[in-house]
Amino acid sequence: MQAATLMRAEEKLPEGAAAPGLISDLSALLGAWFNTDKQTGGVVRMVLAGTPGDFTVQAFGAAAPEPLDWGKVPAVAYAAGVASPAGMAFSAVYDFGFLDTFLAAYTKSGILVLDTFNVFKDGSGRSNYFSREFFHR
Amino acid sequence: MEPLRASRARDLPCAGPRPVSRIIDPAPLVGTWVNFDTASRGLARVVVSGDGAGGSGNLRVRAFGAGSPAPVDWGEVAGEPFADGVTLQAAVGFTAVYGFGGMRVMLASYLNKRLLVVDAYTRFHDGSGRAGYFARDHFYIP
Repeated sequence: MQAATLMRAEEKLPEGAAAPGLISDLSALLGAWFNTDKQTGGVVRMVLAGTPGDFTVQAFGAAAPEPLDWGKVPAVAYAAGVASPAGMAFSAVYDFGFLDTFLAAYTKSGILVLDTFNVFKDGSGRSNYFSREFFHR
Repeated sequence: MEPLRASRARDLPCAGPRPVSRIIDPAPLVGTWVNFDTASRGLARVVVSGDGAGGSGNLRVRAFGAGSPAPVDWGEVAGEPFADGVTLQAAVGFTAVYGFGGMRVMLASYLNKRLLVVDAYTRFHDGSGRAGYFARDHFYIP
């Protein structure tokens, strides 16, 4: 695949806008986020923490008697556009050995929407699956 | 037989025998998907292809970026189909990754009532200083 500098119109900086460099404002993302569905079988809560250079997510999966701590992994922040320094979305990957879970999430009107894409590696016959959940602070 | 490992309750089948196949049918995703927003500056259309029912479950994705005078053909890449649960076979979403030298785009997509939602997570490593960004587009099959 050939390298290119512009594959979509939205990649272009607006006229007169300066490139922001690193995303420097994570305030829309940082904090503890709780699933709006208290009966979820998916992700119960997440903690987003750190700085633009050291941004992490710690997720907790639904389990009994206590949620399962997935541990802390690096996360990548995304802005709403190429000229914005403010993070409003993130991605991260958990490797559980038997399962890879890709987290893809964004904020909208104070809600965090989390999509997970789950790939089993254990030969158990389970289907790779998608989930979508909603979180509040 | 060892118990199934799980990171959360949803990783486990609700009841019944263990699933015996992990091949996901990409058919629900297959087609030429056109952006509802004809003025979108993101993706103009996405072509998803598979190898048919009973096949290997392989999925191919070909995206076209908004450009002038014509959309920009991103080329075809392998995609990963996903079902709605661990015992289901019908695809409801996919991921695909494009690498363009100085830019990496992760497409994370799912179906919602025959609307295809495509979220693009873009990172630059070309020294341009542009912020990595998130964009969402909605598609239908005409």
